[in-house]
Amino acid sequence: MKKTRLLKNLMLSLLIPCAVLLVLEAMALGKGLRLFANADSWKLFFRAVANVTLTTFALSINLDSGRFDFSLGAVSMLSATVAGTLAQQWNVGPWPMLAIAVAVAALLGLLHGGVYVLTRIPPIIVSLGMALFYEGCAFAFTGGKGVSLVTRLDIIGFSTIGHYILLTAVAVALIVLLFDYTRFGANYRALLSGQKIAVETGIHEIGNALGCYAVSGALMGVVGFISLANTGSQQMALNFGSIGVMFTAFLPMFIGGWIGRYINKRVGIMLGATSMALISLAFARFNTASSVQSIVSALLLVLFLIYLNNEFAILSRFRKKQDAK
Amino acid sequence: MKNLKRSLCLALCLILALACIPAMADGNVKIGVLVSDATSSEALAFRAYYTEYIAKAYGVEFIYSDELTDAAGEKSAIDNFIVNNCKAVISFSSFDRPAQIDQCDAAGIYNAVATGTLTDEQYDEYKDYEYYVGAIGPSMDIEFQAGYDMAAYYIDQGMTKFGMFGGGVPYYVDMHIYRAAGMLTAMVEKGGEGANYKGADNAGAIIGQIYADGGIDTGAIGNLELAAYVGGYDFNDAWFGKLSQMVGTEGIQAILTVGSGVDVLGGFISGSGVKLATVDSFTPAMQEAMDNGILDYMAGKFAASIGPIFAATLNAVNGQPIRDSEGNALALGQGYWVATSSEQFAQYCAVDSSMTDPAYTKEILDQYASSEVSYDDFVDFVSQYSFDEIVSLKK
Amino acid sequence: MGKQTIRERIPAFASILGLLALIAAYYIVGLIRDANVAYGLKAVVNQSVVVALVATGAVFIYTLGSFDISLGAATGVSALLGAMAYNATGSLPVMFLVCIGVAVAIGFINSSLASVFNLPIFVTTVAMMSVLSAFMLILIGWNGAGDTIKVKARDVRPLDNIPFKVAVLAAYIALCWFVFTLLPTGREAKFIGGNPVCAKLSGIDEKKLAIIASLISAIGIGLGAFLTIVYAPTLNKDTASSIGMDVIIAIVFGGMPVSGGPRSRILSAVVGAFSMGFLSQIMSMLNLGSGYGQMIKAAIFLLVVFIALGSQRGKLLTR
Repeated sequence: MKKTRLLKNLMLSLLIPCAVLLVLEAMALGKGLRLFANADSWKLFFRAVANVTLTTFALSINLDSGRFDFSLGAVSMLSATVAGTLAQQWNVGPWPMLAIAVAVAALLGLLHGGVYVLTRIPPIIVSLGMALFYEGCAFAFTGGKGVSLVTRLDIIGFSTIGHYILLTAVAVALIVLLFDYTRFGANYRALLSGQKIAVETGIHEIGNALGCYAVSGALMGVVGFISLANTGSQQMALNFGSIGVMFTAFLPMFIGGWIGRYINKRVGIMLGATSMALISLAFARFNTASSVQSIVSALLLVLFLIYLNNEFAILSRFRKKQDAK
Repeated sequence: MKNLKRSLCLALCLILALACIPAMADGNVKIGVLVSDATSSEALAFRAYYTEYIAKAYGVEFIYSDELTDAAGEKSAIDNFIVNNCKAVISFSSFDRPAQIDQCDAAGIYNAVATGTLTDEQYDEYKDYEYYVGAIGPSMDIEFQAGYDMAAYYIDQGMTKFGMFGGGVPYYVDMHIYRAAGMLTAMVEKGGEGANYKGADNAGAIIGQIYADGGIDTGAIGNLELAAYVGGYDFNDAWFGKLSQMVGTEGIQAILTVGSGVDVLGGFISGSGVKLATVDSFTPAMQEAMDNGILDYMAGKFAASIGPIFAATLNAVNGQPIRDSEGNALALGQGYWVATSSEQFAQYCAVDSSMTDPAYTKEILDQYASSEVSYDDFVDFVSQYSFDEIVSLKK
Repeated sequence: MGKQTIRERIPAFASILGLLALIAAYYIVGLIRDANVAYGLKAVVNQSVVVALVATGAVFIYTLGSFDISLGAATGVSALLGAMAYNATGSLPVMFLVCIGVAVAIGFINSSLASVFNLPIFVTTVAMMSVLSAFMLILIGWNGAGDTIKVKARDVRPLDNIPFKVAVLAAYIALCWFVFTLLPTGREAKFIGGNPVCAKLSGIDEKKLAIIASLISAIGIGLGAFLTIVYAPTLNKDTASSIGMDVIIAIVFGGMPVSGGPRSRILSAVVGAFSMGFLSQIMSMLNLGSGYGQMIKAAIFLLVVFIALGSQRGKLLTR
């Protein structure tokens, strides 16, 4: 019985990514292409899985608690800028650079959280201010030049499928461990379901919020590192030019939420990110124009949300039809 | 909490006061600078030349706009310059040049176009405006030629299979469309008998085709092949995937880019053996890319190329605008420096990135930022923009 | 009791105090920098009026506790289609009606999607923002005149003056104030924003109010689009793109809680928009580099919001 339920849950968890894969593969065949044509396709896929999974974790950690964060892209950009510049100056390899990026990003997250808990300004507004501030910092830090590591083959060489899988797996494992198997995670969940009661029972809300911002920051540090190691350059953005990163995480977050009914929610997010990565791969393989990509992504988001928010009505109508037959 | 609020208010006041101190110290001529790009290496090189060399050498203060994205932003920025009592505006932003000239003219401040030109129709309309200084920069013909030369360089070496990065082509950026059209025209002209791009076999038709499509199609052009094309600046996973696919396209020999080639493709090109050609600026980062074989060909505007338009603007502010015999404003073309080897690049970079001895020094500019300069002398000066000509000027 | 009332009233004026502080700073910096402060006031009105219009309408949406990030893109699409309609007909009234009509249609789609399918408005507007931004590029392609859609400047110049713009803003504020303060709609919206469960149990139709809020907001977007064309008649894919963010900032600068509810005020948007205008002028006069300038702007932004929010801070962390 238990085994059957486990199998059913596993199948339902894999339903969306598998369905997406099948549909896209069929479309590719229709165009005379293969979705995974060569090593580059696999690399693109696993890079997208890593990027989207980590960004979605970073967004959902705070958004689930009602804290909207526009500064994710700016944290990623500033941490990669600092790490890339130091890696260049100190001539260190990719692993120390990754460590610097994560440490810097965690500190930036902590600072963001610090401003939030100190001023009690609504989180969405703090995040706007911090996004502007971090964009300005990155620009000032490099004099606007950004970072160019295109000649650092050791760092660019880090962009391998193995490393992407490793980073994703470690991030998923750590996030599952932190949020599902520690006191910090228990407090987080308590605050999530009842802020007032949780605080009155003695849970330290401020510490938990600071922790969430630091973890979210650290994740964006990894995203920044992946991006810099991939292209070899980090360009600057001003006047909220960095906030677009956040919008890529909504659909996988909702898909992850649905899959999370059948499997661990964090793993669900990773599977949601996998679905998005497949769509990104298809956009690249089909050479889809940017405006078409935007429209397709938006429609998918709306359609999925329509299903999610009307699931009961849709399913009961479907069941009625079945019964009638 | 109250103490915290007081402290923060005090901090705000201190910030404002500290920020004002340098401003109180100077009483220089103020010139507003409109920019639609504040972060590219080319834009930073231009800014450094003005703020770190010209401002000190001539005792002027440059007030830069934010990174502008539309014509409304340009208009607001010019309003801000007028508030700041700027005597002139040098524009690197081209969303609505006629509106800029009209606005400056109405306010009685000078307007000059840097690194670009007006269209012929626009020039006819504004050439005799009192406050229009003129334009110095690559015309669309020069942009076209830059693209043409880049493609011809590789075709003449016997290469036949190319990739292209179109940058702002999907957004209908004129400069990028003309460069891309130049590349395609070279392929059509050198692609053997009957070569054409989607039926177009001359520059005008190719330009028209790109404007109609908002993009560029891949395929054979005579005995040459445009095997891959990526446009836009999406910076998302799919876009990076397309770039990576382009580099990995079987048999591709060179990738021609209308701009930002190293920034967007450098990471993928490393170790691939594919040649990369771009339009950018002569910075140490590009030098490193050239030294390491990532970049193979570069056409660039040198940072000091904006020196002559400053000299012309300063003359106008000082009451001596440079005009031709019919009283018309300047409309002068200025081309690119092209580097195809590390040594050549190093030579250019050494001159271009120097803030003590740039390509156009104060000593050179002083000869033209003066009441004695004639229109013909100035035209002659601007026309000598090649590296060798500038080196001989410095002597 | 009296003391308590004064204390209660202070937050309502905190944002106006913030605006006054910024005006004072503007004059001081202007004096030090030898700036043309009189011209600057005109520039502030020109630069703030579109944000003020869009933000004033958006107050209805924010009051419900909702959040619309597609306002900038909606303004952009309305302006582009308005300009195309003008070029096709040569009629300013047609341009005006198209701007308003397109904005209302977009608002209707947004609110209907949210109401009929029970979607969270914010996420719907995130999707709408992507679609509208892509649509702007498609419209420019269809127009087939390079990277812009232009209306002849001389055709709209007669309207490009401060009295006309202030009159449009004043009329719209009056309309919104009437609906928000004197009609049940405003009270019901505040009730929903403050306590949605109680409001629903009291029989207030949340869906109907969401649609009304979107439609009133859409009129502000349409007017903003019209004045955008009047101010700068050359439009491109990024026209009005910053308005979405500017509106959020303006509303918070104006001292209104982003969570909506009973403390929502129509005038918050106008106070906030003009505060932003003065801050922008101050930053321009200080002539700081891009990076440091933006850092200081961010610090001032947070500080002004901190002051403007007054005693809205509670024991629990704000969400």
